[in-house]
Amino acid sequence: MTAVQLAHLYKTFTFNRGWGRQRKQTEVTAVDHISLNVPEGQAIAFIGPNGAGKSTTIKMLTGILHPTAGTATVLGQVPWRDRRTLSRQIGVVFGQRSQLWYHLPPRDTLELLARIYDLDPQDYRKRREVLVERFGLSEFWSTPVRKLSLGQRMRAEVAASLLHSPQVVFLDEPTIGLDVLARQELRDLICEWNRQEGVTVFLTSHDTGDIERVAQRVVVINHGRIVLDAPVSQLRQQYLSEKILSVQFHTTILPFPILSGVRQLEATDYTLKLEIDTRLMPIEQVITQVLQAGSVADMAIEDPPLDAVIAHIYTQPAEERSP
Amino acid sequence: MSLLHKYGLHKYGWIAWTSARSHVAYLGEVIARTLFLIVILYIFLQLWRVTYSETQAQQLGGFTLAQMLWYLCITESMAISAPRVAQEVDQDVRTGALAVQLIRPMSYPLYRLWSSLGERCVRFSLNFAVSAVLAFLFVGAIPISLTGLFLFLIVLPIAFILDFLMMFLIGLGAFWLEDTTGLVLIYSRLLWLLGGLLIPLELFPESWQPILRNLPFATIIYAPARLFVHPTWNDAIAILLRQGVTLLILAIGVQWVYRIAVQRIHANGG
Amino acid sequence: MEVKPMVIKAMSRLLNYLGLATAYIRLNWHAHLEYRGAFLSQLIAMLLNNLMWVAFWVLFFTRFPVLRGWTVQDVVTLWAIAAAGFGLAHAIYGNALQLATLITQGQLDVWMLYPRVLLPHLLLGRMNATSWGDLLFGYGVYLGFVHPDLVHFVWFVGLTTAIAALFVGFSVLTGSLSFYLGNASALSEQWRFAMLSFSTYPGTLFEGGIKLLLYTLIPAGFVAYLPIEALRSLSWIHAVWTIVGSIAVLGVGIGVFYHGLRRYESGNLMEMRG
Repeated sequence: MTAVQLAHLYKTFTFNRGWGRQRKQTEVTAVDHISLNVPEGQAIAFIGPNGAGKSTTIKMLTGILHPTAGTATVLGQVPWRDRRTLSRQIGVVFGQRSQLWYHLPPRDTLELLARIYDLDPQDYRKRREVLVERFGLSEFWSTPVRKLSLGQRMRAEVAASLLHSPQVVFLDEPTIGLDVLARQELRDLICEWNRQEGVTVFLTSHDTGDIERVAQRVVVINHGRIVLDAPVSQLRQQYLSEKILSVQFHTTILPFPILSGVRQLEATDYTLKLEIDTRLMPIEQVITQVLQAGSVADMAIEDPPLDAVIAHIYTQPAEERSP
Repeated sequence: MSLLHKYGLHKYGWIAWTSARSHVAYLGEVIARTLFLIVILYIFLQLWRVTYSETQAQQLGGFTLAQMLWYLCITESMAISAPRVAQEVDQDVRTGALAVQLIRPMSYPLYRLWSSLGERCVRFSLNFAVSAVLAFLFVGAIPISLTGLFLFLIVLPIAFILDFLMMFLIGLGAFWLEDTTGLVLIYSRLLWLLGGLLIPLELFPESWQPILRNLPFATIIYAPARLFVHPTWNDAIAILLRQGVTLLILAIGVQWVYRIAVQRIHANGG
Repeated sequence: MEVKPMVIKAMSRLLNYLGLATAYIRLNWHAHLEYRGAFLSQLIAMLLNNLMWVAFWVLFFTRFPVLRGWTVQDVVTLWAIAAAGFGLAHAIYGNALQLATLITQGQLDVWMLYPRVLLPHLLLGRMNATSWGDLLFGYGVYLGFVHPDLVHFVWFVGLTTAIAALFVGFSVLTGSLSFYLGNASALSEQWRFAMLSFSTYPGTLFEGGIKLLLYTLIPAGFVAYLPIEALRSLSWIHAVWTIVGSIAVLGVGIGVFYHGLRRYESGNLMEMRG
């Protein structure tokens, strides 16, 4: 069964500039003929730099925006036509726009949502218990949202979007602004929900880490077009095989040996930044070498930034890209 | 020059000038407020036109219809040009900015006074310019003598200073009160009602008039407007006398409260 | 036989909506009580402000007892009806005053994702604190100053409800300008101000072209004239016209909102969302 289907979805925006005779209309294409099928239960990551068309696509799939051309269905319904009926079956989280009541505890928002969605009181209570337990909401259940940390807030936000048991969840930049730990927690929760409840997850992000850990499939878009549509395992192998290792030392370091698959991005007396191709060189081995080079003060392993991944995709020949 | 320096007038004059210039940007807001003034002055015009015709009087409380509208156009300009002195002082007290001001070689009350005067002059002139045009269109000109204008221009700044002192005093309330917005509102509404914003004191009940005339509210709003439409030396002297006494009392009051407040800062470390 | 199920359906929908509205009102109260000091002082401030105006009119009428047939009772009734209507409107539908901001900041998005009719749901989202002051003042001053009998009081309740509908419609109308003009908050503010000013002076003062304006562009005649006349002599005609006016303004407001919403859905408002 297909949960989400996009066929040549196309969206342009018209901007008016200036006044009177100088008034000009410019058209900007935000989504450029995107076609896509998402089977039920899949977790798909929609990634791309800012302004690539991710949010516009989500807004069309949730019925907020009407497309210029093309069609889309979510659970068999056309979102912008059947917005209200569809809204009972989908959940949406906008990372930048909260639906929680700022001055009240999460409890109150959930109570209200139960009314908005006409949930049966008994079903609601059962569902609430599950969410509170799974999302660890009990520790801040009665604390006004304004006093919560961003991580806690996002957990409550996602839980709230799941209250009416939606079959498809759209998460627009859910991890934005979160610290490493909170980010990891939220990813695990989304992942768990997807695997255990079979909820279809449609996630946008510009963080490569989100994709690797949550999604099974990744769609990279840029300038409104699909650049890559592949299983995450392929992305991991081909484009995310590189890690960045940054090290700080207490003492000046000995010259670092040349290893195959390791590129020195930066080296000073006290710091070292390496790009490691993990297909050629396991990361453990590099770390062993680093420890021998001097007394380590701090160390961090990072994913390559999304820009680098996209640049990488563009340099690949086209036939290698298609799955 | 030396006199200027002795009293620090060069410094405070500059503050007023800077504040005035920064409020010329307010011009845009005044244009947006033109509609406000059109609506309110038109309503006043109708209210009084009907009142005059129903009572079949040429004059009410000594005002002709034209004088009444010019009176209201001044009081209205006064009311909507009031700077937010109390709110600013309240903020300075709560954020500790006042304690910081204390280490500057400058008197905080005088700094606030001059910057509020600069702001108010700009705002009043702009609002008055617009409402004068409207009054002229609605009822035509009223006779104004040079003497009248001169008297008005003496009384007006004193009214501004009196209003400032009242607001400053309320702002200092922040040292003792959790919230001064209520006081600010009560003051402004009392000023409007008892100061003759909507209706000149002559039309109040006979027995109230002597009391109202001597309250500070009347010296702030009623007095200058009344003098503008009805300039006489006798009235001017009486008004100046009242303003002088009020000024003295308020200045002493501010001085006293301010000193207690500053002692609190020194005692509590701000 | 087919009519009955439809009526039942409509009733149950209405009840459902009332339940939702109650839930929002409760939540809004809770949110405001988080800052009860500020809430209370706003409320009292509004009471005082309105009382100042009543004091002005009492003063005015001690000098001039009758103004085009209206006495101080009538003008105080006018203030009571206008304040209670405006207060009732925004105490419940506080978001009507926020509409311009919601539109320009793209915050309608969140509201569009709920399985509820957009406008009546969205308007519930916020409560305007000072409006409770207006509401309290309106009923307080009517009961305390005018001393109505039961019949008049019932009429008063009905008329203020109609006026509330009118104010909701008017706020929605002015707020919806933002769909067309970008950030039109300054303009809608001026328009609202004109409406409020004309709504608080006796409607009998105005004639000619202005009168036409007061039943169209600035529909203050439905607040400051018709309901007062209705209440003075329990005149059905004036009451009916008041209600007709309210429904018309509400209808225009709703129409303009949904027309503008189509622009929002086309996404071409994006330029101001940045």
